[in-house]
Amino acid sequence: MRERITFIQKQGDSIEPTTLKIKGGDAEKDGAEEGSDVENDMDVDEADLNGPEIQAAREDRLTIAIDELPTDLQALLGTAHELHIRYVSSQPYEAITPLLARLPPGFHLFYTPAREADATSPALCLALNKVFGNVQCENPQESFATLPRDRFSHSAAYQYYQQSVDFSPFIEYAKERLCSSSKDQSCASRADRLAEASTLDISYDAISHAVKLTATWPYQKQEVHATSRPQTRTEVGVLNSDRPGHVEPHELAISGLLTVLGQDKKPSATMFAFASRHRDAESSFSAEFLEPTGLHPTLKLNLKSSKPPTEDAHCSPHAYFTLPKTIFADRHQLSDDLFLASKNLTGLRYISQPVDLEAPEYVEKRWGSSLLLELSPPEHEKSESWTAQVPLHLRYLSPAEGGYTDIEVPYPAVFWACTAEEGTKFPNNPFEKVNLGYDGLFGPRTVFWHFEPRPATDNSLINTIKVPVLDTNKAEWVSGGTGLAVLLGFAWIVWKLFGVLSKSGYQNQPAQAAEAAKIKKKQ
Amino acid sequence: MATSPAPPRPKPSLLTTLFSRPLPLYLSAFLLRLVLLLYGLWQDANSPLKYTDIDYLVFTDAARFVSRGESPYARETYRYTPILAWLLLPTTWTAGAQWGPLAAKVINTAWFSFGKVLFAAADLVAGWLIERVLVMGTDFPSVSQPQEKEKQNEKERAGGSGNGTTTGTRMDPSRARAFAAIWLLNPMVATISTRGSSEGLLGVLVMALLWAVLSRRITLAGLLLGFSVHFKIYPFIYAPAIVWWMDQERLSGVRGGGGQKKTFFQKITSFLTLPRLNLAITSLTTFLFLNLLMYALYGHTFLQETYLHHVTRIDHRHNFSPYNTQLYLSSASASVPSSSSGLKIESLAFLPQLLLSTILIPLCLAKKDLPTSLLAQTFAFVTFNKVCTSQYFLWYMVFLPLYLPRSSFLRGKRMGVAALGLWVLGQGLWLQQAFELEFLGRSTFLPGLWMASLGFFVMNCWILGVIVGDGGR
Repeated sequence: MRERITFIQKQGDSIEPTTLKIKGGDAEKDGAEEGSDVENDMDVDEADLNGPEIQAAREDRLTIAIDELPTDLQALLGTAHELHIRYVSSQPYEAITPLLARLPPGFHLFYTPAREADATSPALCLALNKVFGNVQCENPQESFATLPRDRFSHSAAYQYYQQSVDFSPFIEYAKERLCSSSKDQSCASRADRLAEASTLDISYDAISHAVKLTATWPYQKQEVHATSRPQTRTEVGVLNSDRPGHVEPHELAISGLLTVLGQDKKPSATMFAFASRHRDAESSFSAEFLEPTGLHPTLKLNLKSSKPPTEDAHCSPHAYFTLPKTIFADRHQLSDDLFLASKNLTGLRYISQPVDLEAPEYVEKRWGSSLLLELSPPEHEKSESWTAQVPLHLRYLSPAEGGYTDIEVPYPAVFWACTAEEGTKFPNNPFEKVNLGYDGLFGPRTVFWHFEPRPATDNSLINTIKVPVLDTNKAEWVSGGTGLAVLLGFAWIVWKLFGVLSKSGYQNQPAQAAEAAKIKKKQ
Repeated sequence: MATSPAPPRPKPSLLTTLFSRPLPLYLSAFLLRLVLLLYGLWQDANSPLKYTDIDYLVFTDAARFVSRGESPYARETYRYTPILAWLLLPTTWTAGAQWGPLAAKVINTAWFSFGKVLFAAADLVAGWLIERVLVMGTDFPSVSQPQEKEKQNEKERAGGSGNGTTTGTRMDPSRARAFAAIWLLNPMVATISTRGSSEGLLGVLVMALLWAVLSRRITLAGLLLGFSVHFKIYPFIYAPAIVWWMDQERLSGVRGGGGQKKTFFQKITSFLTLPRLNLAITSLTTFLFLNLLMYALYGHTFLQETYLHHVTRIDHRHNFSPYNTQLYLSSASASVPSSSSGLKIESLAFLPQLLLSTILIPLCLAKKDLPTSLLAQTFAFVTFNKVCTSQYFLWYMVFLPLYLPRSSFLRGKRMGVAALGLWVLGQGLWLQQAFELEFLGRSTFLPGLWMASLGFFVMNCWILGVIVGDGGR
């Protein structure tokens, strides 16, 4: 097990190495236990680091080898070639370099089964429900969306998304199964802190044979504090982004202090530079629905800037949506250039398949759909704020009391996609994140410059729509009333038909007249 | 009629010149469609709001799949026979490289509009067939001729325009054209086909079927019947009416064994005439042949999309049908496995619909007045259907010119205006509720939409009752 704890400050905010107090470590092994409130005094590796209160974002990354996991999790991961769970908080947060990769808020899952049969097995869904509580899935084949694998080999086979997932079952699970003992208070309290995380990633792939658990907390005032855990190599970094002259324009530079707990007596200064797949566009956007929403709501994106983030590359703005099954986009509607242009859209670049255009929400099994839209910014020299409109459609929802049901639609991820120079190597980035859903839809040398999502109204990156549904309070008479009306209408027509029959039979009148004439003649 | 004053003798007006010869009517019907078609092209090219119907994009997408050697069902929501996609193959053609960019654009647009031209042309042919049927008359061309002459003379004496005096018989061409104009110059019909909806094709098929039956072209009628049912299912309701109408007397002019009492067996054998068997065999063979061919080509998807879809569809979205609210309600509770309910009225919905449109109406009316029977059957089918949109109204509208000359609605002008007014008002009320739901997001399902659809249904039943009464006279 390895752990990496990183505090990241903004450019220019560095701290003095002397402000970091390190306890434990080889040199001070004997004094390590002093003043420690850890009850388990067998843990001689215990060490900690304390520093001042700083304004920073925090990232914790725990790497666990598969054989260190509880056996049921081992069995579950055995069904996966790769599995990435990414949770993003609906609370807006400021992301700082280099923790810039963004996704729509909610619970995202990307999965490639180890064998074909794993795609139809309910094992994964059962496990997800055990760990996360309320994930609405039956088996990957039925409940997940298939991702285009032919496009770029690096994307997973299946995608799942759910807007609201309660994390308390996961935290309880983590405390119970991942913390070494119930008495391990620091582990438990760290697990509790996951509830405040702005992102949480659980990533596994069969090649590395390890699970990476990464959580980030937003840029805020916090104390620098870290404790090592038994049998765990813990590395603590207090870093800040830097911009020294010798770094290439497409690279990010990071400098700061690194300490390996229980090993280093004092922090060592470090500085490194790397190409990052995700960058900050230094602009923001908000999303809101145009009123009235009706059954065909339009989501309006308000973007602060129309100027590409870099002039060295070809860039175009995109919006990536994960839409719950209550709402969807019609790819046929998004194929007419004139229509798209009127909404400041360039085109629909991807939509998960299949999207049923007719089914009501209550019969739809799939979680929803994801789509990637290319936006078309105004072509002016000067940067200006602009909007794009995304036409969407609601499914019919189940009847409900009062005649309305609220649905929640997450913000998209909005970014400039720019082509990077030939030969750029992203994997050197220690904060690299892949398999986000949209990255697999672009070439491997694409850089994403993210707009920061800002809430339009409440302090949330979720928009709510009031959807009209059949009011069950008034539905009492529907069955009887419909039946009665149909019966009356039917009876009225049968009565009229009976009138015809009794008056003149079913034969043709002239024929009958002729018949009658004949009979008369005979007489 | 007795209460209204005798109509004045019409002066030669623009209207009479429009109908006195064929050219002015058909030319204006053609020009109406041409103008709408060109206007549609302009609107499509200049406005994000499209004139072209969504369905047309479905057809043409399907045709594109076919042109690439794929199945038309590769296009989602394509729920039609592959023949439609084949017919529209020219919409996928493009200009060759020898043309300049402007010329190429014009040629491509023209080819893309091929389907609309086809549908609009079908409208015109349907209109022409309406005129033919009216002129031909619907009964005993040979037997009733003297009677007919007499009536015509009578009519001329009365002032030439006396409506309601001709019962199921021949009509002079200019008067026939005036009634055909109800279809030919109907803006709703012209708009629907130039927007690219295929209902116009059904109009021509059904009218050709009636024309073939009335002119005793039985094999042709069988082919048309089989083909139309393959094309859109609902024309199967015409089969019992036609078979019932085709009795011995009518087809041969010979009265078979009048006066004598027949045994049950004799009745059966005399019912199974050669023409009836011919119709049954040709139509069934055509229908089966086409379906087997399509099944061989496209397999189960063909069956699923064209036919089975109509069995399994939920029809939960708001439409004119009286069953709609009930269907929405029950489809949602059906998805919750725990809920149980007793007898579901929607599962019996087909009963009144099929009883009326395939048995009761043809039995009572077909022998008396075949076109009115077909109109009443179609009207009943659409009114009692589990799903009903305004395109379905075209299905019965094609028969109106054949029925109206003898209808209570024309005889009593006030009744006619009331019926038309109520029909429009019924839709208007419903549309207003639907607009509030669809665009303003108000929950108008109950009571608004439900009441509006029931009101429209009741009003339609009243109209249908009047039609039935007229057909029995």
